[in-house]
Amino acid sequence: MTGDLASLSHAPTRPGSASAEAPAIEAIDLVRIYHTHVGVIRRRPLDVEAVRGVTFDVRPGELFGLLGPNGAGKTTTIKMLITLLLPTSGSARVMGFDVVRETTEVRRRIGYVFGGDRGLYDRVSGLDNLRYFAELYGVDPRQRDRRIAALLELVGLTGREKEKVEGYSRGMRQRLHIARGLLHDPEVIFMDEPSIGLDPIGARELRQTVRSLVDAGKTVLLTTHYMFEADALCDRIAVINDGHIVASGTGSDLKSAVLNRTIVEIETFGVAPEAIDRLRRDPEVIAVNTEERDQSQILLIQSERGPEITQRLLGSLGDTRVGKVVAREPTLEDAYVHLIASTSSTDGADRAAALG
Amino acid sequence: MSAGRTLRLIGYVTWFNVRMLLVSEFFVLLTFISPLIFATLAFFLFRLGHGGSGQTLLYAALGSGMMGVWSTTLFGCGGAIAWQRWEGTLELLVNAPTRYDFILAGQTFGAVIFGFYGIVTTIVWGMVLFGMPLQATFPLVLPLSLFAAVISLGALGMLIATLFVLYRHANALGNLLEYPIWLVAGLLVPLTRLPDWIQPVSWVLAPTWGMEAIRGATLGDAPPWLAIGMCVVLAGAYYVLARVVLVYVLDKARRDASLALR
Repeated sequence: MTGDLASLSHAPTRPGSASAEAPAIEAIDLVRIYHTHVGVIRRRPLDVEAVRGVTFDVRPGELFGLLGPNGAGKTTTIKMLITLLLPTSGSARVMGFDVVRETTEVRRRIGYVFGGDRGLYDRVSGLDNLRYFAELYGVDPRQRDRRIAALLELVGLTGREKEKVEGYSRGMRQRLHIARGLLHDPEVIFMDEPSIGLDPIGARELRQTVRSLVDAGKTVLLTTHYMFEADALCDRIAVINDGHIVASGTGSDLKSAVLNRTIVEIETFGVAPEAIDRLRRDPEVIAVNTEERDQSQILLIQSERGPEITQRLLGSLGDTRVGKVVAREPTLEDAYVHLIASTSSTDGADRAAALG
Repeated sequence: MSAGRTLRLIGYVTWFNVRMLLVSEFFVLLTFISPLIFATLAFFLFRLGHGGSGQTLLYAALGSGMMGVWSTTLFGCGGAIAWQRWEGTLELLVNAPTRYDFILAGQTFGAVIFGFYGIVTTIVWGMVLFGMPLQATFPLVLPLSLFAAVISLGALGMLIATLFVLYRHANALGNLLEYPIWLVAGLLVPLTRLPDWIQPVSWVLAPTWGMEAIRGATLGDAPPWLAIGMCVVLAGAYYVLARVVLVYVLDKARRDASLALR
């Protein structure tokens, strides 16, 4: 992706746009409950609270990351902000316009890019897709072809635009998504897990493009469940879990929550649940997370003690076969894992709790 | 949005939808092949019953073609929504800063216009294989009749399509509506042969008057002004109703989060 986005942008502010002081995106205590049913013969209503009082704001020109695991409420939050879903309660404004009542004003000012294979007309070319959406987004017909050419250049699809989309790789489809989302030169761009399924090079190119959007003065709200991606790109990050914002700030702010800790990584082979429980009961252990590998399990143990705790931890594992052992400084990934682990429901079903 | 931009938008969406239907084997089969099968059966049946006069064959050809138009309208409008839901483009269309009823209008007109190709192929089929004469009693009125039929069927298709926006399983309803409308709209069997109580149902259906307008211009004794007028009135009524329903449907879709469901 090599083009220059700055040359594609119009004047950064327009009538009705937020002033420099006002947030570009403002969510206040957003709640969204999905009403569904369980059972086939005896259908019983069930309410699932996907977003439970989310509040944050994004400043104009900022790249804001909404980080969380699958099912945390990221996509639901984005869909409320882009007017596709009505909040059950709470309010939100984009560029000063209410997302419930002033939908057309909001839609004129936003672009929406999502990850995955869907959202394109597969049986026609990439160029046909862009021309079609240009009409729907009200792009001036006299500028349409020039703008599409510039966007194709930006996302690196020049020369491939006349091929049918069904023959595109996932990376190409994702780049076409981005070009589509930028057709009408939106002031605010919502990107919902845009790097999902991309190979490392594709993901890196995507991150460069996202960065260039912000350099061109766009406000970007990006959701991801990759900590390193949020850290590499975002000015500020909000971590969302179980429908709540559990932490927010810069990458450094989030990391400071675990800065005084030591992470001991122990490679084990066939570790028993009782051994992990013993570690968790240790008063000097703050958290234990496990990562399953092919033949082994990696225990990530957080403690406020230094590396000297390692021998004691190994003792708690008893007869468990142990491989590599490393004591290290915490990373942002550890901060994220800590935040998610410490705020997750013990019982996944409780999100559909007593509401049902 | 100016009137010029609106017309351009509807025209572009219509053209795009025709292209999308052309690359779909299902719709090509539905529009070009199935009316030929209906027409062939009808030609033989009408020959047996009426001796196969040229006028009778043309009557059957137009009826068979219109059956194809109705099928394409039904599946082209509703099916396109279901297809977009599957492809994940429905959310993008609804979320565009353009009024969704204009987009829906373009999509339904695309389906109807595509369906009208079926009438052409049916007539050519009848001429080549069954020696059917090509005639029009009122050739100057015929384009007007065709236009009236297109807009009335398009508006009805738009009304039906609103249900597909809301309900992902609305195609079951689409299937249910195909054959009964062929009968009730008098596409092959004259309305006078149907029970009296069905007539009021026929009067509020666009295919009834669209068929009447086209047959009147080709085979009638007088220009079909009443049928053309009814097509226009019904088109207006369907459009107004579709807009009212669409406001409710889009609001409900935002409440129920149903647009992304497959």
